[in-house]
Amino acid sequence: MMQSSELTTKAKEYLRIAKVDLVIGYLEGTTKDRRRAGFIRSAEEADNLVLDERCEDNLAVYLVKENLLARYKKVAIFLNPAGIRTINVLASEEQIEADKIVILGFEITGGDVRILDGESVDDFSELIAQLKLKAFDSEQMADVDEIDSLDVDKRFEYWRGEFSKCIKCYACRQACPMCYCNRCIVECNQPQWICRSAHTLGNFEWNIVRAFHLAGRCVGCGNCERACPVDIPLMKINRKLGKEVLDRFDYFVGSSKDQQAVLTSFKQDDPQEFIL
Amino acid sequence: MADNFEPRIIAFVCNYCTYAGADLAGTSRLKYPANVRIVRLPCTGRISPLFLLKALQKGADGILVSGCHPGDCHFISGNYHARRRWSIFRTLLDFLGIPKERIWFSWVSASEGRKFADLITEFTENIKQLGPFTQYDKLIKEMSE
Amino acid sequence: MARIGVFVCHCGENISATVDVERVAETLAHHPGVAYSTDYKYMCSDPGQELIRKAIREHRLTGLVVSACSPQMHERTFRKACAEAGLNPYLCEMANIREHCSWVHTDKEQATEKAIEIIRSLVEKVKRNNELHPIHVPVTRRALVIGGGIAGIQAALDIANAGQEVVLVERQPSIGGHMAQLSETFPTLDCSQCILTPRMVEVAQHPKIKLYTYAEVEQVSGFIGNFKVKLRLKARYVDTEKCTGCGLCITKCPANKIPSEFDCGLGNRTAIYTPFAQAVPNKPVIDSDNCIYFQKGKCKNCQRVCPTDAINYEMQDEFIEIDVGAIIVASGFDVQDTNIYGEYGYGRYPNIITSLQFERLASASGPTGGKILRPSDGKEPKTIVFIQCVGSRDPAKGLKYCSKICCMYTAKHMMLYKHKVHDGQAYNFYMDIRAAGKGYDEFVRRAIEEDHACYLRGRVSKIYPDGDKLIVRGVDTLSGRPMEIAADMIVLATAAIPQKDAEKLAQTVGVGYDENGFFNEAHPKLRPVETTKAGVFLAGACQAPKDIPETVAQASAAASKVIALFSNDELEREPIIAKVDETQCVACWGCYQACPYGAIEKKDITDRAGNIIKQVAQVNAGLCQGCGICVAFCRSDCIDLEGFSEQQIYAQVMGM
Repeated sequence: MMQSSELTTKAKEYLRIAKVDLVIGYLEGTTKDRRRAGFIRSAEEADNLVLDERCEDNLAVYLVKENLLARYKKVAIFLNPAGIRTINVLASEEQIEADKIVILGFEITGGDVRILDGESVDDFSELIAQLKLKAFDSEQMADVDEIDSLDVDKRFEYWRGEFSKCIKCYACRQACPMCYCNRCIVECNQPQWICRSAHTLGNFEWNIVRAFHLAGRCVGCGNCERACPVDIPLMKINRKLGKEVLDRFDYFVGSSKDQQAVLTSFKQDDPQEFIL
Repeated sequence: MADNFEPRIIAFVCNYCTYAGADLAGTSRLKYPANVRIVRLPCTGRISPLFLLKALQKGADGILVSGCHPGDCHFISGNYHARRRWSIFRTLLDFLGIPKERIWFSWVSASEGRKFADLITEFTENIKQLGPFTQYDKLIKEMSE
Repeated sequence: MARIGVFVCHCGENISATVDVERVAETLAHHPGVAYSTDYKYMCSDPGQELIRKAIREHRLTGLVVSACSPQMHERTFRKACAEAGLNPYLCEMANIREHCSWVHTDKEQATEKAIEIIRSLVEKVKRNNELHPIHVPVTRRALVIGGGIAGIQAALDIANAGQEVVLVERQPSIGGHMAQLSETFPTLDCSQCILTPRMVEVAQHPKIKLYTYAEVEQVSGFIGNFKVKLRLKARYVDTEKCTGCGLCITKCPANKIPSEFDCGLGNRTAIYTPFAQAVPNKPVIDSDNCIYFQKGKCKNCQRVCPTDAINYEMQDEFIEIDVGAIIVASGFDVQDTNIYGEYGYGRYPNIITSLQFERLASASGPTGGKILRPSDGKEPKTIVFIQCVGSRDPAKGLKYCSKICCMYTAKHMMLYKHKVHDGQAYNFYMDIRAAGKGYDEFVRRAIEEDHACYLRGRVSKIYPDGDKLIVRGVDTLSGRPMEIAADMIVLATAAIPQKDAEKLAQTVGVGYDENGFFNEAHPKLRPVETTKAGVFLAGACQAPKDIPETVAQASAAASKVIALFSNDELEREPIIAKVDETQCVACWGCYQACPYGAIEKKDITDRAGNIIKQVAQVNAGLCQGCGICVAFCRSDCIDLEGFSEQQIYAQVMGM
C-alpha cells in the first residue's frame, strides 16, 4: 500500500506545482466496497484520493463527457492498463489530445496495486505490447469458450434469456468511454434502425449493434458490464470480438495513438475463407 | 413441413458486380428458385450491418451479401472494407446464436451469371434443409403482441 | 402524401409470359400511396414513355416505379421521360422484374408474387427518394502533364494543338525522357533522336505550352476540373532568362568526371551541364552536390566565363501554384540495374551492361560515338551475349510480369551490333520471343536470317570471368545441350520497372498502383487511360511497360480525354453523393479514413467571433463518387448517401 499512496501523493504534487489543473481519480464510495470518480482541482482536495484494489472503473470515460478537456490545460488521470489503451483509442479517433493527459498508471493484480512507470501514453507502448502477447488466453476466454461450445440454438436461447432482462437503460453506453456519439444510433428515428420498445427483438438489436460498434475499439475495461443493472454478461461478447480482431487481423485495440481503426483499414490479403 | 417450406431470402448486392451478374443470369435465361429478393446498393462498402438486422426482422430465413471479387471493386476498396466488416459481424451473430449457415457471403462478378444462379439454388436448398428461422420468428411474434 | 405511379411492362412477352402483369398492376393499385398503376406492352417505346409522361401530369405523381428490365438497361430512359413531364428524374426507380424475375423463373404464380414484392419494396423506397439535381462544377481549361518523355510530349502537343493550355513538368534538366537515350528504334531502325528532337523543340516553342524542367510536383489538391497543383522549381543556379545556351561554362568546368546519368554511367559530364547536346531547354543547371564551388567554396569558373552573367549561386528552390482542370501522369519507367542476380555477378563485372547502356554505346551521340566498345578496356567485343528476361517473368527471385519491350529491342541490339561489328557473333538467351505487333515478327526474323543473330532458347545459370573473357554457362533447351560461350561483353535485358518514387507520386496525385508500383487504369479494357480519380489520366510506361508506338497512342488517347473534358464550360455529375449531418457529427474520422477518394474533408465550425468550436466531416462533391463506404461506417448515422439513403434502404427492406 506504500506504493499506491505514492501515486496519490504525486497527483497532489502535480496540482500544487500547477503541472495539471485537474486530477481525475478515485474517492471513497457511498458504501465501503465501492469507489467513485473524483474530480480534484486543488492540492488540499487531493488528500481524499484513494487507490486500492477496488478501483476498477475506467475513468477515461469522463474525458469524453461534456467537453471536459476543453476546460482544462492539462489533466492527470488514474488509469489501469485498459484505461491507458483507452487514451490511445480516443486519441486515434481524435476525441482527445493525448498530450493534455498525464497518466497516473497502475495495475491491480491479485488484490495488490502496482504503480506503472510513465506519464505520457507513449511511455506505455512496451507494456501494451506485452499485454498483447498474453491477451485473450484460455483462462480469460473460458466463459466465452463455454458459450461457443454450445449448440447454436442453445446459444440463441442463452442470449435470449440474457437480453430479455435488458431494460434499455443504456447504462452500458453511458459507462463506455468509446460511446461518445452525440446521437446514439438507437436514438435515430429516421429511420428507426433499432426497435426501441422493450421487447427481446429490440434488445437483441441494441446489443448486437452496441457490440459491433465496439468491435476493434473495446479495450475490455469492463465498465459496461459493471454498470449493467441486470447483469448481462456483456464482456463475454466484447472479449469474443476482441479475440476475433486479434486472431484475424493481428489487431490489438489501443496499441498506439496512431493506430488506424480495424474497420476503416484493410489488407488486400485479409482472410476470406467465409466468402464463396 | 420442410417439403412445402419456401424460405425467404434477402440479398444485398453491389450494383457493379453481383447485380450485373444477376442480370446476366437473366439474359442467359438461367433458372433458380424464386425465393430471393435483391436489394441493390452501389457497393458492398455501403452495406451496413443494420440492413441485415432489418432483413431478419422482416423474417428472412437466409441473407446473402455479395459483391465484386477482390481487386475488382468499382470503388477501389469497398469490398475490402466490407470483407473485414462481415468477417467480424458474422462472428458476432454466430456467437449470439444467429447461425452462420443462414448468412452467406460471396463474390460474384458481372460475368458470373452462372455462379449467381447456382449460388441462389444452393443457398435456397440449404435454407430449406435448415428450415425456418423459428427462434427469430418467436422474437418477431413477441414484438407484435 | 405520396402519389406513386407504378408502370408494369410486358416487354412483349418477355415478362408477361411468366408474370401475370395485369394482376401485378392491379395488386399494386391498392398499395398505400400508389395513385396510379397500369401495365403496358412496351414501356420503353415512344407510346410507353408518353403513357408515363401523361400519367405523371394527370395524376400529379410524386414518384414512380417502372417495373420492367434492369436499371442498367433503361434507368436513363425512364428518368429522362420523368424529367420531360416535369418530375425530378431521381424520383423514378426501376423494379427489375425481367432479368431478376421473369427470365429466371418458370412458375407463374411464384414469379408473379415475387414481382409484386419487388415492386412493393421499391414503391416504399421511392416514397423516400429526394429530388436531386446534377452537380455542376466549373472547368479550368488548362492541363498538367507530368513527365516530359515521349508520352508527355505527345500528350502536351495534342492538347496544345487543340487550342488548350498545357503545363508540362519534367524533373530532369531537359525533356526527352528515355527515348532521347535510344539509338535506333524498332521495327524501322530510324534514329530515335531524329524523330524525337523536332517534337521537343515544338514543345518548347508552342505558345500554348508552359514548360517547367528541373521541376517536380509537390502537392495536388482539388478535384476534376479544379485541381490546385504546387510545383517545386528546383534551383538551377543558372538564370534561364539571361542564359543564351552558349555552353562556355560547360567547357570551363573543372569538375568533369561525374558519371553522366544520360549515358548511364558510361560517359562523364561536368557539374554545370546539360544532359545531352540537343537538350530542351538547352540551358545548363549546376549539380550542387558535385560542384566545386558549392562543396569547397572556391572556383566560380562558370560565373567568370559567362558572357551574360547568368550564373547565380544564391538561387533557391521556388514554389509555384497552378490551377489545372485535368492531369496526365506520364512519369515513365526505369530499368533494373545489373546487380540483381548473384549468378550474373551482382554487377561486379564491368563488361556486363544493361540494354539501356547498350543503347548509349550504339548511339551516334553516345560516349563512344556510336562504336560498340566494351567498358573495361575500350576493345571491340567480337563475341557478345544478350540475355533476356533478367528480372522479368521470374516470380521466384525477380518480378512476375513480362517487361514487354525486351524481345524487340534485343533483336534490334543484335542487328545494330552486326551492322557495326561485321565479324562479330551475337548470341541471345531467351525464354520466348514475344514479337506481336505490326512488322515486329518480321523484324525478329530479319535479325535471325539476315544478320545471323544466334537465338538460344534457355536460361543462363552462371557467368564467371576467365582472363578478359566472361564465360556464360547456359543451356539450349531446344537441342538439349549445355552451352558455354566465352563472351567479350554481355548485355542484360533487365526488367522495366516503375520509377523509384512512383508510389509517392501516385499518392501525391491520388491514383492507385498495382503490386509492382505501376499506376492503375480505371478499367483494364474499357477505360485504359482513365484512372479511378476523375480528371486524372495515364500515358506511357508509368502504367505498364510499353514501346514507343503504344506510348504515343496512349498519350494521344489521354489527350483526347482531356480535350473532351475541356469542351464543356462546366461538368455535370450524378448527384449520388454523400452528405453529412453536421449537427450530429462527432468527428471520429472513420469516414475520413475509409474514403477511397479522399472526398471527406475536415470542416471547422466556428462561433460568431470566428473561434473554432468543433470540426465536422464535410463531403467534397467534386471528389465523392457515391460508393457509400462512409455511410456504413458512421456509428451515429450522420453521413448518408443520396439515392441510396438510410431511409430509402430501410423502407425498401421493411417494404418486403
